[in-house]
Amino acid sequence: MKKKVIGLIDGQSGNIGSIKKAIKDIIKNKPYRLKVIDGSFDVDEFDKIILPGQGAYATLVSNLKKLKIFSPLKQYLINNSSFLGICVGMQILSDKGYEDKVTNGLGIISGNVKKFKKKNLIIPHMGWNSISIKKNNPVFDQRFNLKDFYFVHSYIYQNIGKTNILATTYYGKNFPSVINKGNIYGVQFHPEKSHKYGVNLIRSFINDK
Amino acid sequence: MLKTRIIPCLDVIGSKVVKGINFKNIKVMGSAVELAKYYSSSGADELCMLDINASYQKRKTFIRTVESIAKVINIPFTVGGGVSDLSDITQLLNAGADKVSINSAAVKNPSLIRHASLKHGSQCIVVAIDGKRHQNIMKVVVKGGREITKNELITWAKQVQSLGAGEILMTSMDTDGVQNGFDTNMLKKVTSNVGIPVIASGGVGSLEHFYLGHLTKSTGLLAASVFHSRKYKIKTVKKYLSSKGVPVRL
Repeated sequence: MKKKVIGLIDGQSGNIGSIKKAIKDIIKNKPYRLKVIDGSFDVDEFDKIILPGQGAYATLVSNLKKLKIFSPLKQYLINNSSFLGICVGMQILSDKGYEDKVTNGLGIISGNVKKFKKKNLIIPHMGWNSISIKKNNPVFDQRFNLKDFYFVHSYIYQNIGKTNILATTYYGKNFPSVINKGNIYGVQFHPEKSHKYGVNLIRSFINDK
Repeated sequence: MLKTRIIPCLDVIGSKVVKGINFKNIKVMGSAVELAKYYSSSGADELCMLDINASYQKRKTFIRTVESIAKVINIPFTVGGGVSDLSDITQLLNAGADKVSINSAAVKNPSLIRHASLKHGSQCIVVAIDGKRHQNIMKVVVKGGREITKNELITWAKQVQSLGAGEILMTSMDTDGVQNGFDTNMLKKVTSNVGIPVIASGGVGSLEHFYLGHLTKSTGLLAASVFHSRKYKIKTVKKYLSSKGVPVRL
């Protein structure tokens, strides 16, 4: 049987070590192969792509452009191929980011990424917080409802269509913590740092279809 | 709702976890990798590891220990001790740390905080502050409390925030190692003057101390010997806090 290929994008936005380790553990002895994407790629080569990200929106977009990943990734997403974006890797699915300066994102799930705005709220939102599942979905099913995941971010997805929100999290207000459109998923938290439920969530994404 | 983080801290020389009262009378408590694995699987929300003897030879062992731990845990991992410049920070992040804590190097050269947070993002830069009362004024101290700097504690805490620190790890040298409880007065002063997360450190000896630490508005509570000595399991602390109405990850 031909092995499915999982692409892990190294956008030079933080260390990909922990997510790589998590994926390797999950696909051990399974018909999958992991390939790190660090430059231009053929969209048809990959069955699934994961984009982790830390740091700033503008930095990740400009790194992906420099590495010639941005354009093929956009095409891959327009094709509605299977994708998981983590933290800033989720945020750049939006139209625009407002961190440091206004930057155009991939424009796949409409919305803008802006700073948490509330008086006396400790920023960054750092630590474990629960997600409330809002819709039935084969990947993010009820197993994950009200479970805690590890967050660290100061910016949130805003003006997003209700149909694209799979789960919300409360910090000062409810914000979208899991988003989705077709086969494309984004999580604001770090599943690779979120102990067993985090690993289960990555496994659920990899095993889907 | 955001949960209060319970953070075991490993004070390490090479690959061994040690304990010393006010950084003196050092005693070996166990293997860093073994303890890290144990804490990650038993409910720790984050793991902190500090190199308390950053000598050249021991440093190599320490970096290898960071690599080994990063491979076996899946919770956030903060590493510090002996960080003097940007290349030390990059080295620790590459070894698998999620956050790096800077202490005396930041006092000596505050712009290091700015450069580090611009290069790697604020989310992975923790500034560790050691505080101590001197002639009734809360001051920043270095070298395990032996050297009092000219910095007033609250001014420094505000400054590290404006330079781009993502978090403050606040240790009171007046309460550290003696298990009489966190320095709640010092912690409250800090949390009420900054808008970034503060981790309380130094002095936990009983379950109630964790609760009193939470009341200071610190979002992380760090402890070492009560966990290493197995006086309390992480789950015991969390169940206690939960019974007092504190949100924790159970």
